Order: sequence, then C-alpha cells, then structure tokens
Amino acid sequence: MTLAPTLITLDSLAVGKSGTVIHIAPGAAGEQDQGVDLARRLMELGFVPGEKIRMLKRGMPGGEPLAIKVGNATFALRRFEAARISVQPE
Amino acid sequence: MGATEQTIQATLQLPLVALLGNPNCGKTALFNRLTGARQKVANYAGVTIERKEGSFTSPDGRPFRLLDLPGAYSLSATTPDEAITRDVVAGLRAGEQAPDLIVCVVDATNLRLNLRLVLEIKRLGLPMILALNMVDVAKKRGIEIDADKLAVELGMTVVETVAVQGGGEKSLLRALDQASPLQHTSANPLSAIDAVSVETTQREVRRILAACSSDFHDTGNLTEKIDDVVLHPVLGPVILALIMFLVFQAVFSWANVPMDLIKEGVEGLGKLIGAHMGDGVLKSLLVEGILGGAGSVLVFLPQILILFFFILILEDCGYLPRAAFLLDRLMGGVGLSGRAFIPLLSSFACAIPGIMAARTIQNPRDRLVTIMIAPLMTCSARLPVYALIIAAFIPQRDLAGFISLQGLVLFVLYFAGIAAAMAVAYFMKRTVGADRQQPLMLELPSYHWPHLRNLGIGLWERAKIFLSRVGTIILTLMILLWFLSSFPGAPAGATHPPIYYSLAGLLGRGLELIFAPIGFNWQICIALVPGLAAREVAVGALGTVYALSQTGDDLATSLTPIIAGSWPLATALSLLAWYVFAPQCMSTLSVVKRETNSWRYPLLMAGYMFGLAYAASFLTYRIALLMGA
Repeated sequence: MTLAPTLITLDSLAVGKSGTVIHIAPGAAGEQDQGVDLARRLMELGFVPGEKIRMLKRGMPGGEPLAIKVGNATFALRRFEAARISVQPE
Repeated sequence: MGATEQTIQATLQLPLVALLGNPNCGKTALFNRLTGARQKVANYAGVTIERKEGSFTSPDGRPFRLLDLPGAYSLSATTPDEAITRDVVAGLRAGEQAPDLIVCVVDATNLRLNLRLVLEIKRLGLPMILALNMVDVAKKRGIEIDADKLAVELGMTVVETVAVQGGGEKSLLRALDQASPLQHTSANPLSAIDAVSVETTQREVRRILAACSSDFHDTGNLTEKIDDVVLHPVLGPVILALIMFLVFQAVFSWANVPMDLIKEGVEGLGKLIGAHMGDGVLKSLLVEGILGGAGSVLVFLPQILILFFFILILEDCGYLPRAAFLLDRLMGGVGLSGRAFIPLLSSFACAIPGIMAARTIQNPRDRLVTIMIAPLMTCSARLPVYALIIAAFIPQRDLAGFISLQGLVLFVLYFAGIAAAMAVAYFMKRTVGADRQQPLMLELPSYHWPHLRNLGIGLWERAKIFLSRVGTIILTLMILLWFLSSFPGAPAGATHPPIYYSLAGLLGRGLELIFAPIGFNWQICIALVPGLAAREVAVGALGTVYALSQTGDDLATSLTPIIAGSWPLATALSLLAWYVFAPQCMSTLSVVKRETNSWRYPLLMAGYMFGLAYAASFLTYRIALLMGA
C-alpha cells in the first residue's frame, strides 16, 4: 500500500475502471488563439473536478478513441484530449 | 403603409420565444410539435445548424414567434453554428432584438450536463421557462425529478414535456399563457456568464440535483449493453461493414417490383400516346423528350427511398455517432477532425447540406478540408446513374448463393468514393499541413427505437424532393435537350439518325474529341452537359438521346436494354468511375462559393475533381480494354 498520490491521466485508465476527475490541464499559450480552448471545452462537456467518470470502451487500433461516461452522458474523446484530464482511479 | 408591410410589422411585434439547450435534447422535435413544421430531427448532436423561425398560437389565442437554435454546450461559442445561438440569445445579431422569453430545453435523463447551460443562460437576466423534456424516458429509467422543487431552486417555471408525443407540449403552452403578456427585457452582456467559473457552476448543479432528484447511478443500462457489442474493437467494425453491405443489397433486391411497376406505367403511357397521336413534333416531345427523359429518372424513386429508409433509421436510433467512433482512427489518420463525420455522412444524401453542416467544425482548416471532400461522398443523385449502368451491365446473379453481385458492385462504388475522399484529405494534410491534433469530443447518445412518424415524414420529404426535381429542373432540361437534339433536322441523304446533325449532336461530337480516350461516345458526351445542373439528369438525358437515336419503329422507352446493347463493357465501367468523382454539379460549387466566401475553392474543387474523374476513367477504360472487356 502506498500513501503517495496515485493520480493518472484519463487516457491511461483501463476499460471498465472508474475514477474521479481531479484536474484539467490548461492548454499552451497559443491554443486559445486558434479558437480552441480545449480545457474549457472539456469542462463544458462535464469533465469538471469532482465528477465521477468511467472508461467504457477503447477503439482499435491503438486504444483510440475512448468512450467515457461522465455523469449520465457518454463522450468519445481522442487520446490527447483525455490526457489533459487527471483522475483519481478507484 | 401597404397591407403586406402592416402584416410584417404586426408579425415583428409578436412576442419572440427562443428554444435553447444542449445538442440532441429535443429542441427541434419540440419546435416541430409547436409549429407543425417538419424540420429534420435525428438522434445525434448538431442536426440544426441554422436558426429556424416559426409561429404558433397558444390555447388562449395568443400568437407567438418561435426560434429553433443550434444546440450548444455553453454560450462561449467556438463553432459558427454555436455563434448563431450565442448572438441570437444575446441580441447581438444585426437587425434582431434578443428574444422576449427563452425556453430552455433540457434532457431530463441527463440534468447533470444540461443544467449548467441553464444556470449560464440565467445570468443573462431574460425571462425563462425550463422545459424538462424526455420525462417519459427518465421515468422509465427510474429517475425521479421534483419539478416544483427544481422551479424553486432555479427561480423559474418548470414544465414537463415529451416532444416526440402528441400533446407532450401542452404544459409548455399553458406556462406560456401564464407568463403572458411578455414584457421585453434587455439581456445582460455575455460577460455576465463568465463572471462565475465553470467549476463553481458545476458545484451549484450538483447541489440542486441533490435537492431535487433521486440519487441514481445509471450503470449497466441497455445502451451500455448494446455498446458493449457495437463498439467492440473487433465485432464493432464487422457489424458496421455488415450494415452498410446489407443496405446496398437491399437497394437492389427490394426495389425490383416497384421499379418494374413504374417502368411499365411509363412504357404503357408511351404506347398509349404512340397509338393515339399522329407522328409529329408534339408526339416526339412527349414520348422521347418527356417520357424517355424524365420517365427514366422517375424509375429510381424506389431505390432512393430504400436507401433513405435505412439512413433515417440509423440516424434516429443513435447508431451514427457509434459509426463515427469506429471510424475515428481512420479519420484522424488522414488529418480529419472527428466532427467531420456528420457533415460527410449528410453528403450521402446531397453534398449541399453536408457542406453546410461543416459549420459545426471549429478549426477553419479542418472545415475547409471537410468541405472540399464532401462531394466525393456518393450523393443520392448519383444513385440513378449507378443503378442504370449496373442494371444494364452487371448480371443479376448471386455469389455464394445469397450475395447479389449488383449490390456488391454498388457497395464497391460507394466505398471507392469514401476511399478517394480519405486520400484527398491525406494529401491536403500533407500539403496544407496539420501540425495540431484534431479534437473529437463527440457525444454518444442513448439508443432509442426509431419513431415511425419521423421515418414516415423523412421518407415523404425525400420523395417530395426527388419528385419535384423530376417535375421541375429535370423536366425543363429534358424539354430543352429534346429541342436541341431535334433541330436542325437531318440533311437530305443522311446516314445517321437526325440527332447526329442537331445542335446537341454537334456539341456531343465536339466533346467526344476530349472524352474518346476514356471511352465515352458522343451520346454520353451530350448527357454529361445537362448533368452539370443535376447529376441524375444525365440518366434522363441518355434516355432522350437514345430514344431519338433509335431508327425504325421499335420505340422502346426503357433505357437499360438499349445501352446494354450499344456500349462496350469498358465504356460502362469508365462511366461508373467517372461518376465516383463527377465534378459536374453547379449547385454544390455555388454553395462552396457561399460557405468559403471565395471563388478560389469552388474552382479548385471543380478542377481537382475533374482531373481525378478523368484519370480514374482513363485507367478504368484502358485496363478494361486490356483485359478484353
């Protein structure tokens, strides 16, 4: 048993596992200029700290895209999007 | 002031109600229910891309104007369609004031996501009513929502609606009457929304939900069980391929009987006219121009309806976003945004709505690539061309006892269009460049049974579109073509049928110089020209041209046997390859001009598609000749 924090990024959560959203990493400085504030978009879809999430499915090949349940909605994300989200696995 | 102006003035003074909510929560279904309109609805996000206006009268006799807006997850718009919603609500649109009242539509099965937008909009300070939609589904899933408590918490009227059911809108109408007469309030600036962070808003949502809704965990429901199979890494793609394959099989095997009926009807009419009219110009116009031309397009109505029957069912039940999920690796690999799937799929009906649906893509480069490849998806206007040639040249035979060879060829043609689109996207990624990864963020909605009413309306609308095309543009072009093909008449001592010497014949023989290397004869060249206006006209044009080319008395109005007898197989295959790319559609090019606001891209599109079409036909024709076809 370890006492160290066990945060992982959402893209590495295994299929069928649940977790709680802890943090969304803000984008690099240039990102907003391109008209996509990815972190904000993700939060608007419900990936907000404190929300429960579950990894439902992964696509083929390369384990991408991901089908993730957040609240009662299911969203498909690509890996790099999910990598922005830190979760505490259960 | 004239009477019309007075009416317009009076209409503008009517209270304006706007429907607002997350994507796919039932706004358009509610709009249709209230106004009796027939806007398209389907079970995926982003079906509505423009503001639509209608009107209705409440039970108390009050008239209202109603706006249906594109769905949004928030008002911080990042795509052109979301910007429409934001601007309308905030009264920022030129010449339009903010709505007098907002009906916020929420999906009762997913308040957690939907309520945040409600709280955001509330900060604008406009009068609001909350429509708790899909309460029937929520109840079935055991979700209890205390509407009265929710009304207190949110500080607005809350009504329960079931937009897909007759009478499901009554409670909303009552609430609108109670809220009347509406006082116009001006909206707070949009910055009021950002005054509170997304996180704080979500905490508030959780607090409200805890107070008003039963705590419930939606796990292991039917949608998830279906997705277990449908999104399975191996089974999923197999199921997708199987579905597509079956659709194209059905297009051929189910359509035979109704197609024969229409064909016999048209031929019967032709014989009737032939028997009761003296030979002359009018008879030729009726039999060869109108029946031979427009009639030969009409025959394809059953096949188009069968194709849309399946597309509509897949749309309505919620399978399409799953298909997008399964194909995402492929799309991402060629540099397409995940959002490109729905616009590309719409292009199977017609490239025009597909190109317009590209507005849901945030990045301008992604949007442009999607627009440029949309016409490579096989639109329904190409179906008659494919079906005609396949019926004439591909034997009606089963492979392995159950796979129709004709259906298989059709499947391959559709697939060729998709493969070409992916190749072009990849090429554009390599040349124009895509240094950034493209987001997906696609909602996978719950499955539900297709609504028969939706299906019926959808098919009826399709039939209407097709028939009105046959009755207007196709018929007009056929008459024009008949005229050009009949005059001037043949000179004395002519060895060819009169059409050979006509204006159209002259044009066809001129074009033949360019198209002979890919195996097109002058009759096909004539047909390509009116095909610029609408692709299926090419079929009608072939009908007219061949009806006029026939010598002797055996006037057949049915095109299939004629071309089967007069084209080499290599020519037929070459024409099929040509139509996979088929650059000739004026209305598509003009929409591209409008959407990109430049002549550069429509010209580029016409150029690259013509080049690809010519190259593909050339290769097909030459290889077929070498193989002895």
